[in-house]
Amino acid sequence: MTVGKTWDLDMAAGPIYRQIAQHVRRALACGVIKSGDRLPSVRELAQQLKVNQNTVVHAYSQLEREGIVETRRGLGTFIRDGIPVAVSQRELLIAAAQRYAREVLALSVSTEEAIEIVREVLDAGDVG
Amino acid sequence: MLAMLDDVTKVYGKSYGLRDLTLEVPTGQVIGLLGVNGSGKTTLLKLLSGLLLPTRGQVSVLGEPPRRVRSKLVFLGETDAIYRWMGPTDAGYLMSGLYPDFCPQRYRALLDSLQVPTRRAGAMSKGERVRLRLAMALAREAALYILDEPLGGIDLAARERILQSIVGQWRADASIILSTHAIAEAEGLFDRVVLLKQGSLVLDALAEDLRERGESVKSTFLEVLG
Repeated sequence: MTVGKTWDLDMAAGPIYRQIAQHVRRALACGVIKSGDRLPSVRELAQQLKVNQNTVVHAYSQLEREGIVETRRGLGTFIRDGIPVAVSQRELLIAAAQRYAREVLALSVSTEEAIEIVREVLDAGDVG
Repeated sequence: MLAMLDDVTKVYGKSYGLRDLTLEVPTGQVIGLLGVNGSGKTTLLKLLSGLLLPTRGQVSVLGEPPRRVRSKLVFLGETDAIYRWMGPTDAGYLMSGLYPDFCPQRYRALLDSLQVPTRRAGAMSKGERVRLRLAMALAREAALYILDEPLGGIDLAARERILQSIVGQWRADASIILSTHAIAEAEGLFDRVVLLKQGSLVLDALAEDLRERGESVKSTFLEVLG
């Protein structure tokens, strides 16, 4: 379980608990973790990231509220069964598309041209 | 409330170390005490531990003056205070003898994770001695851990290990208050940050609240004290 090992937390990019929850959602969407997998314990993850244990608890509670994880007393926090990965993937792509759309609008580029550029980049497999 | 400084003033001769300071320490919180050199951090921590007495105001830990509950607090100061002839094992015996709440098993685990060498303290580097003293301090089961610059003069890799040890040792029924200049690295540890300027409290905020507003502890520090 390599969740947490290569995460980049940005202290100026909003609350850490939110960044942690986002990382878990992303790991799920990318297939790094799957339904039934156990997340690191609060203490383990807090130590890996060098953040307060309460912050990790907050992140896990958030994910539990969203129905992505469940805490089983004495066993740990697990990704719930039957999480539709496709939904998470779509959400991540929508967020990425929104970032792209902001650039497109700022540069006053047409939608057709914007889509054409995406197509070229994906066809060439050149992700920079 | 685990501990409290109630309208505390500390005067050194003609100058104010701390002025009209009120601070409440709830249980289970990690507090970062920040400020430039001379702003009163060590004075605050020494008052909280009972090593200094206030000129005015009251300090209490678990409802009593700190000196009466010495067994429930741990103070790790900046001075390199350890007998030079002692090695980690000797230090462990000393701590076991002095403190019934000292846990030898936790001590050994901390010596390992902090990579403390098995030499006598006199043959250790300053950084290694700090790590030994930190292992001695964190292996005690106290209600309040008061750490004055535990990252001072320590190399990067050791700082990482120290931060991880502090994170790992946290318990919901204890609180930790630590001062540091390594704000960017340590800020993730803090539930709450308290900024001092010339003996006065100028900011007291929850770290995640600052981040909710798009700041970081570091940016707030620079803005308030820069």
